[in-house]
Amino acid sequence: MSHERVVTIVPEAGLHARPASAFVQAVNDHDADVSAGPPDGDLVQAASMIAVTSLGAGQGDDLKLVAEGPDAEAVLDELERILTTPEEELDA
Amino acid sequence: MAQRTLRGTGATPRSGVGTVVWYGRDISLPDPDGAVDPDAETERFVDAVGTARAELEAEREATAERVGESEAAVFDAHIQFLEDPTIEDAVETSIADGLDAANAVDDAFGEHIEQFEGMDGRMAERADDLRDVRDRLLRLLTDGERVDLSDLPEGSVVLAERLTPSDTAQLDPERVAGFATVTGGRTSHAAIFARSLALPAVVGVGEELESVEEGTEVVVDGDEGTLLIEPSDDEREAAAADSGATVVADAVETADGREIEVAANVGRPEELEPAADRGADGVGLYRTEFLFLDRETPPSEDEQYEAVREALDTFPEGRVVVRTLDIGGDKRIPYLDLPEEENPFLGERGIRRSLDPDSDLFATQLRALLRAAADGAGDLAVMFPLVATVEELDAALAALDDALADLEDRGVDAERPEVGVMIETPSAVFMADELAARVDFLSIGTNDLTQYVMAADRENERVGDLHDPTHPGVLRAIHRTVEAAHAADAWVGMCGEMAGDPDLTELLVGLGLDELSMSAVTIPDVKAAVRETEYSTASELADAARFAATRSAVHDALTQ
Repeated sequence: MSHERVVTIVPEAGLHARPASAFVQAVNDHDADVSAGPPDGDLVQAASMIAVTSLGAGQGDDLKLVAEGPDAEAVLDELERILTTPEEELDA
Repeated sequence: MAQRTLRGTGATPRSGVGTVVWYGRDISLPDPDGAVDPDAETERFVDAVGTARAELEAEREATAERVGESEAAVFDAHIQFLEDPTIEDAVETSIADGLDAANAVDDAFGEHIEQFEGMDGRMAERADDLRDVRDRLLRLLTDGERVDLSDLPEGSVVLAERLTPSDTAQLDPERVAGFATVTGGRTSHAAIFARSLALPAVVGVGEELESVEEGTEVVVDGDEGTLLIEPSDDEREAAAADSGATVVADAVETADGREIEVAANVGRPEELEPAADRGADGVGLYRTEFLFLDRETPPSEDEQYEAVREALDTFPEGRVVVRTLDIGGDKRIPYLDLPEEENPFLGERGIRRSLDPDSDLFATQLRALLRAAADGAGDLAVMFPLVATVEELDAALAALDDALADLEDRGVDAERPEVGVMIETPSAVFMADELAARVDFLSIGTNDLTQYVMAADRENERVGDLHDPTHPGVLRAIHRTVEAAHAADAWVGMCGEMAGDPDLTELLVGLGLDELSMSAVTIPDVKAAVRETEYSTASELADAARFAATRSAVHDALTQ
């Protein structure tokens, strides 16, 4: 069964640069297949930096996350944390 | 990609047009139709990704330590692009279809680079990241073979991160239409090299240069310091027609009759004839390092003799000032097996190296020079680089006497040339009176003198503002040197890049320089400037400039 969540992007840079790196890293660190995209549009492979970057998601945009696999809930928690943490506090 | 303009520092007041060849990207793709073993190619791809990842991690660590965590983050993004499943899938599919790993990587990245390039702002920057990652992989997959600089197609414009002296030594000026580099300032080796060959060049363009693709047509405008990507027809024609100022073949004097010798700085034998053609009275700085670079063993005495003879015969009525070997610093010569130094510019370079008692390089060079002085058509002068002490000069002069006695004992024709000292260190400036009393002339090397007086690395753009010979500290050092030389009845010349700037000719004549030696390209401009100068007003200008407290006050004096 797949898990879904919609998160509003907080970092000023949007889903770019460091937030994007942290996002893709988190996906790859978990045992789950994750897709991401606009709530009403096509989803892309969240483990692909190219795909995630080309979403062009900016600050204030909503992002839909869909996860499947043993770590599905855990990865969604982590991704939500990344997407709602201002960039300068992202070192944790 | 559309027409656009990149800005840097113009190295030569010349323009040229040509086709981009990247040097240092190390990439030439194999024939995509060649037969390959898919399993082996997949393994090569996987290995290359592993190696690239290790490289990126090491660079990430080093950057985090040196610069900071946020600057290092870009390497995280690169690692993720490197291991992107989209890329991996595309590459593995292409390989399964019979393509080699390198072409498969090039194709897989190419598609996404184009996609990002079409977007704006931050997205377009990702195209640069992808290019970086692609090139890193391709270097690994193509064995990192570099473009052969000595065998470029005619009309090439070479783009590079930077060009070292051994790189430029290989460039064939007949085939190269110009070059542009990411790093470097007006006095970087690449810039000096460009001027010596009147080659259009722009240096210090910055990382933006890396976005220019191989095979693009560009105009290198060394006057404006710009690189025009995909120029219009008008721009292309204007660049192709550029040929520079009118040559003055005769010796020149100021409007009120003070003779100024205008000579060329020469680094390779191929530059001798072009220097004469541009109206050089002689050679004010003949760098002898070319004799030692790009070879397995040191040059013989006869070989060096022939090279100096050639220079003297090119200027039968003139004077050729040869600088003895100036190795060390950043000029590496593998077969000499010189020790690595922590800070080579403050290490064993110039005369310090020549006086090494374990080496006979210096004695061999001196014998070659003394023989050429006897046989060559023009007048030879010899000068020693990077002298800091009277003891060094005395030792060099003793070595010259020994070489002369050695040749005379053997009945070989030899003649003692004029002898001089280069003034490049603050110590030599303070000791100029003592040094001048022992020799025939002093020659001020303003590139190194500025570097050492201002404590500003000439290759480091971050201190580029300090590396400027019009700072009053440098002008006062020049003035002090000229006064000391003239008081000792020695003549005094200048062979740094400053000497070749026609906007500074009046100042230099006013400071009392007897000779100005420069890259051949600006000789006609400087000769014209000498003829327009009145020595009496020039010396008032020089006084105003050297009494100024700030560089901006110097510039005010120069523009009044």
